[in-house]
Amino acid sequence: MAAVNLNTVRATIEARLATELALSPAIPVVFHNQPYVPTPNSSWVQCLVSFGANEYLTMGGTTGSSNSVIGVIAINIFTPLGVGPGANLTIGKRIRDLYNRVIVSGVHFDPPIGPEVVAAPAPEGFFQTQVRLTFETFEDL
Amino acid sequence: MAFYRGQQGSVKFDDAGSSAATIASTRSWSLTVEKESLDTTALGATYRANVGGLISGSGTCELMYTASSADETNVFIEHVNTASDDGGALFELFLDTSGTKKISFDGVITSAEYSATVGEIEVITVNFVTNGTITLDI
Repeated sequence: MAAVNLNTVRATIEARLATELALSPAIPVVFHNQPYVPTPNSSWVQCLVSFGANEYLTMGGTTGSSNSVIGVIAINIFTPLGVGPGANLTIGKRIRDLYNRVIVSGVHFDPPIGPEVVAAPAPEGFFQTQVRLTFETFEDL
Repeated sequence: MAFYRGQQGSVKFDDAGSSAATIASTRSWSLTVEKESLDTTALGATYRANVGGLISGSGTCELMYTASSADETNVFIEHVNTASDDGGALFELFLDTSGTKKISFDGVITSAEYSATVGEIEVITVNFVTNGTITLDI
């Protein structure tokens, strides 16, 4: 056993989204710390993975013990302005179904929140909603 | 001054009573050692008098279900379901990771509560009582 590889967990989460959004109809997706200039009047998705609380799960020292590693995924969905929310919610459903209660490579995804409409889209010029969900993985030392 | 935190503890068990093995995924343990008191108050006395009587212990171990099999952890969580139990199972409850601070005794597992709750890790709570001598090496 070994300490959890946070980059592997991130890759597991992001690869799942990238694979889904590469299917037809394909939608551009951008992740943390990547430059992206969105095409006006288009749809695109931003996925932000953050790690949060780490907690003791079991007794033990640096070997023979387990921790819980919890994180949150915030997925911003951008669609063209002035054409209603339909296209946005269609993408939102694809994303929600992708993670809802799913367990992949030891990463347990909780039921998602949203898509919630974001009152002040960033960047401006799009209709924006956000899907958020927490995830948990277990570290066996 | 040296203090200890709960994660430094551990539990070992052997149903055969000889060589205890670590119980995996233990989250907590507790043991209460009790001594009965015998009332020896003389007739007409103003103050009650007591002497110590029999000593016994009872406790709890909480662990997370890991689907382990063919090891002492599996035996530990299933031992309550054995048909005959002579009380010879060895328990060792450790207070530190060095493995020198421990409470050991033979005992009987009296109950096991298996539980699953949506959104939470599945937990098994095992209750036990001591059988005979309780050794405190703490």
